Amino acid sequence: MSRWHLAIVLCLFSFTAFAGEQEQLILKGEYLVRAAGCVSCHTDHDNKGAYLAGGRELKTAFGTFYTPNITSDPVNGIGNWSDQDLVQALQQGTAPDGSHYYPVFPYTSYTKLRQEDIRAMATYLRTVKPVATKNRAHETPWYLFRWIMAVWKWLFFEQGEFIPDPKQDKSYNRGAYLVAIGHCTECHTPRDAKGVLDNERYLAGIKDGPHGEAIPNITPDKKTGIGRWSQDDISYYLKTGERPDGDFSGSLMAEVIDDGSRYLIDDDLGSMALYLRSLQPVVNPDFVKKKEKKKAAEDEW
Amino acid sequence: MTIKIKHLFMIGITGLIAMPVVSTSAESEDLIKYRRGVMKAIGGHMSATSLIVRGKVPHKGQLKQHVNAMKMLTNDIPALFPEGSDFGETRAKEAVWEKPEDFGKAANKSNDSITNLLKAVEGGNDSEMLATFKKVGEGCKGCHKDFREKE
Repeated sequence: MSRWHLAIVLCLFSFTAFAGEQEQLILKGEYLVRAAGCVSCHTDHDNKGAYLAGGRELKTAFGTFYTPNITSDPVNGIGNWSDQDLVQALQQGTAPDGSHYYPVFPYTSYTKLRQEDIRAMATYLRTVKPVATKNRAHETPWYLFRWIMAVWKWLFFEQGEFIPDPKQDKSYNRGAYLVAIGHCTECHTPRDAKGVLDNERYLAGIKDGPHGEAIPNITPDKKTGIGRWSQDDISYYLKTGERPDGDFSGSLMAEVIDDGSRYLIDDDLGSMALYLRSLQPVVNPDFVKKKEKKKAAEDEW
Repeated sequence: MTIKIKHLFMIGITGLIAMPVVSTSAESEDLIKYRRGVMKAIGGHMSATSLIVRGKVPHKGQLKQHVNAMKMLTNDIPALFPEGSDFGETRAKEAVWEKPEDFGKAANKSNDSITNLLKAVEGGNDSEMLATFKKVGEGCKGCHKDFREKE
């Protein structure tokens, strides 16, 4: 074999190796985009909007927000973003132009994402079909300027990647990471008037969710939480939406499952379940009353 | 005296006006109670079916009975949601009544998926059973996603 032949063979070999690596990175990125629950909010399912093209209306106590287009469209989407732009957006809640995001975009949770994982997500997002859906301006109260978010962040935002607990095993830490980036806490943990999560009651559920509905306590409390669910019950639920009582979750949680958790491999769902099962059980008094009332009514019969 | 008669007359009129309102709302609450009852029954059979199909409990002999019950209970889901049963203790979304065609389609899809599961159970093929059972779950979830609020 001549030197030229050898050079060509080596070139081809490294190119295929690179292509293989690139392919792996894209797949990993897609998996993480699913795991982080990006799809439900950035896709306007109700109005048959294109995948990740944004436009979904999110009504909150702080105004109505419209999710942005995160397809690879260079004008309306994030096609021009570098890996670092996405790292900055997810870990710091800051746009490429330096403006601050409203925390309705859950960077308070995404800050836990590892940089290498965000780079994989960026690589995948660049492969998403570009769609030219225009972004819609948020409808926020007059006082909620973007720069106010700098103050909000300074007061309440704790930035930092996920740190595994060295006292726990690999599966627990994988579960903790997935629950963190899946931003379960954004809905399942109660907030105070400033919109800050009350971590004393981490994942203990709330009475009035975004649609006025109750959001369940997912700590292992036996009475008001999911303490009677086995690890397998939880992972099966995250895969299928089926609760141990045969009922199926609807509404927002069904979206979380359909667009996100059902794509996860069994090992990962098992880890999430293991982590949730190992949390400190928290009694949610709002749900105690409800159950006791129910019981009292049944006793009358 | 006339005042008393007028008074009685007024009570009578008020009663006549109020009566249909009262009876309609009572009826609507009952319709909702009935709907919840049927849905709970379906859920109960679903839970039992799930445990058997996934091999968690040995009651395979009971499987057909549970699937059959689900099939019968889901024959006409839209009938559980008549006009006027959209207020009170219900988590049904307005979409049930605003998009009746979509709702009907979703309901039929669920019923069809249960028919397929029943066939698989009668055929006795385990992998077929698991596959068709999965479709049943997707039907339940799909419908609840679009047409039911969370708790």
